[in-house]
Amino acid sequence: MERWHYHALQEAIDSSTLLVQGNRACALGALDAGVRFFAGYPITPSSEIMETMAYELPRVGGVFLQMEDEIASICACIGAALTGTLAMTATSGPGFSLMQEAIGYATMVEAPLVIVNVMRVGPSTGRPTAPSQGDVMQARWGTHGDHPAVVLAASNVADMYRLTMAAVRFAQRFRTPAILLADEVVGHMRESFSTELIGRYRLTSGDFDFTPSYVHPEMVREVHPPHVLGSKTHPHVTGLMHDETGFPTDDPAKSDQFLRQLHDKIGNHRDELCLYDVKNEGKGRVCIVAYGSCARSARAALRLAEQEGLPVEVLHLYTLFPLPVEIIQEVARRVEFMLVPELNLGQYAREIRKMAENWTTVISMGKVDGTLLTPREIVDRVAELIGKYESV
Amino acid sequence: MKTPTETTTRLRRQTRARPKAHPHDHLLRTDRMPHIWCPGCGIGTVFGCLLTAIEKSGLPLDDIAIVSGIGCTGRMAGYLNLDSFHTTHGRAIPFATGLKLARPQGTVLVASGDGDLFAIGGNHFIHAARRNIDLTVICVNNLNYGMTGGQVAPSTPFGARTTTTPVGNIEEPFNFCSLAAECGATYVARWTSLHARWLTDSLVEAMTKKGFSYVEVLAPCPTTFGRRNRLGSGADLARFFHERSVIRNGIDPREAVLDFEKHLVVGKFVDSTRPTFLDNYELVRRREVGEWPFREEHTPHTSGRAHN
Ligand SMILES: Cc1ncc(C[n+]2csc(CCOP(=O)(O)OP(=O)(O)O)c2C)c(N)n1
Ligand code: SF4
Ligand SMILES: [Mg+2]
Repeated sequence: MERWHYHALQEAIDSSTLLVQGNRACALGALDAGVRFFAGYPITPSSEIMETMAYELPRVGGVFLQMEDEIASICACIGAALTGTLAMTATSGPGFSLMQEAIGYATMVEAPLVIVNVMRVGPSTGRPTAPSQGDVMQARWGTHGDHPAVVLAASNVADMYRLTMAAVRFAQRFRTPAILLADEVVGHMRESFSTELIGRYRLTSGDFDFTPSYVHPEMVREVHPPHVLGSKTHPHVTGLMHDETGFPTDDPAKSDQFLRQLHDKIGNHRDELCLYDVKNEGKGRVCIVAYGSCARSARAALRLAEQEGLPVEVLHLYTLFPLPVEIIQEVARRVEFMLVPELNLGQYAREIRKMAENWTTVISMGKVDGTLLTPREIVDRVAELIGKYESV
Repeated sequence: MKTPTETTTRLRRQTRARPKAHPHDHLLRTDRMPHIWCPGCGIGTVFGCLLTAIEKSGLPLDDIAIVSGIGCTGRMAGYLNLDSFHTTHGRAIPFATGLKLARPQGTVLVASGDGDLFAIGGNHFIHAARRNIDLTVICVNNLNYGMTGGQVAPSTPFGARTTTTPVGNIEEPFNFCSLAAECGATYVARWTSLHARWLTDSLVEAMTKKGFSYVEVLAPCPTTFGRRNRLGSGADLARFFHERSVIRNGIDPREAVLDFEKHLVVGKFVDSTRPTFLDNYELVRRREVGEWPFREEHTPHTSGRAHN
């Protein structure tokens, strides 16, 4: 057992199982993945991530600080990230909006960092303690300009741990900001969580010593030469359009090339980046495509549907962006309907429709009242779709 | 309009002759020259003093990083042959904070404009000073937003004309030095761009001092500020500042006012010591901050806001 899991251990039910809150699991995943810098600003429902980091980071030689706002938080993380330190910040909608300019900057300068957005009902202050998936398209397109995005979605406590680690890994390997979306329910719920998971995926060992030359050994080849501050090479880092030397350029050919390469390093690696899980594969006439807390409901809905004899499969997406085009189209080819339950008014359903409408009918099932979609609601909708089909 | 926007940069590059060898060539990215600054701009003078100061400081060049925001001044980072970091508008200080805390062994300089540091970035400035992050912040105060064509800034004097105060500015400017001191900066100085020797000395002191240091330079922006206020060339403006300046080392920064009708107070106003964020962070690591409220015998970790 690693010493920085003191907090988690306090919640141990017995020696092999912990009762852990989603936000805590996220922080533990980050620590295990080697995150040693965290700057944030309090916001419900994400604050426990920051509080756990405040407690644990000083114990492992890392740096924690609470900044004056979310803009400062993400900027400090980028500054740290460019020294080779793994950095993370966490927030919710209003703070995520403030971070957008810097997310574009991190993308442009290829700074590896993780941004967690535990979503609450918006717009604006909205409902701070109610779950939502309203920031999905903001996670994709919130910052200005043409840019790639890596966006993951956690559906339970174990996901908060695993996907935080995945996000750290993606951020390093692709040298880009990676966004992990959760929602209020996933962030705040407590679930049993195997102690065996903890510490198993640690990427760094020993106390982190801020080695300036640290560069992840397995970067994808499309990454531009990383410019690490403190590495004695005197790199220049700028958010202006630049070439592989790091210096600004107005050259149309070079700008074009740079921007395309930024996209390619994500788009060319969808096979690695797109995480998903198909349940009851090939046996459904309706496929429920879900992510985040709706995927939990979808998985439960599958069990109900089986009992009721409804032919359903579930595509649980852990990666929302880059778009998992291949699996969506594969499933679309074999089902009559794709039902997309979401805690928003169909943001991701529109993306799926673009990919799948040649083969299947995509039905959006949005809910924005600040409560979860229940398995019953989903199954009822499935039954309705199948019934409608039967009567045609 | 004659402002060094991104689009005119190329034009200027083509029309200017290549500069001769400079005594600080090894500190410069000569392949990035000519620079974007207008003839007569004060930023160049400040940049020159900074080069001398870096050399004089004796700090290892591999361990100095320069962080800039966005603006004409913000372009300084790109011409220095150091680790250089051209960030987003207003955010140089938080970027620098992350850099410094993740890599404490390095010296981190922030060089940016008055608008960048005190309008959009004002909140970051006051909190970094309060936290006493070990940074050296250099502000080129040219009394307006140069890069975007000369709009009003939090430094623009009452009555001065800018593109967004066409009949004169009706707001009072900040006294940045007083603000810095009040927020807890441990080194505060102000000079005009013609006080090259004093400025260079201050920069050396600020860079080698542990703690949040602030050095402000009143510098001419003939292209946007000078022209609209009929103050002549860059040299005329620099003289205008210098002639009115009075050196008042050690006075209360609240009294270090910029009164363009009478006198412009310059000098070193604060040079004090208190633990930095990282000093105190060690107490967190060792879990030795103590129980608050502290008893008399146990208040070793703060030292108020000594002005001098
Ligand atoms: C978020 C954002 N808002 C506005 C701008 C446009 N902008 C670029 S520089 C600048 C002002 C610069 O003024 P100052 O900091 O005083 O620097 P100077 O050019 O005078 O040296 C502004 C408003 C920007 N780049 N980013
Ligand atoms: S500050 Fe003024 S004079 Fe200097 S480069 Fe900018 S616009 Fe030109
Ligand atoms: Mg200015």
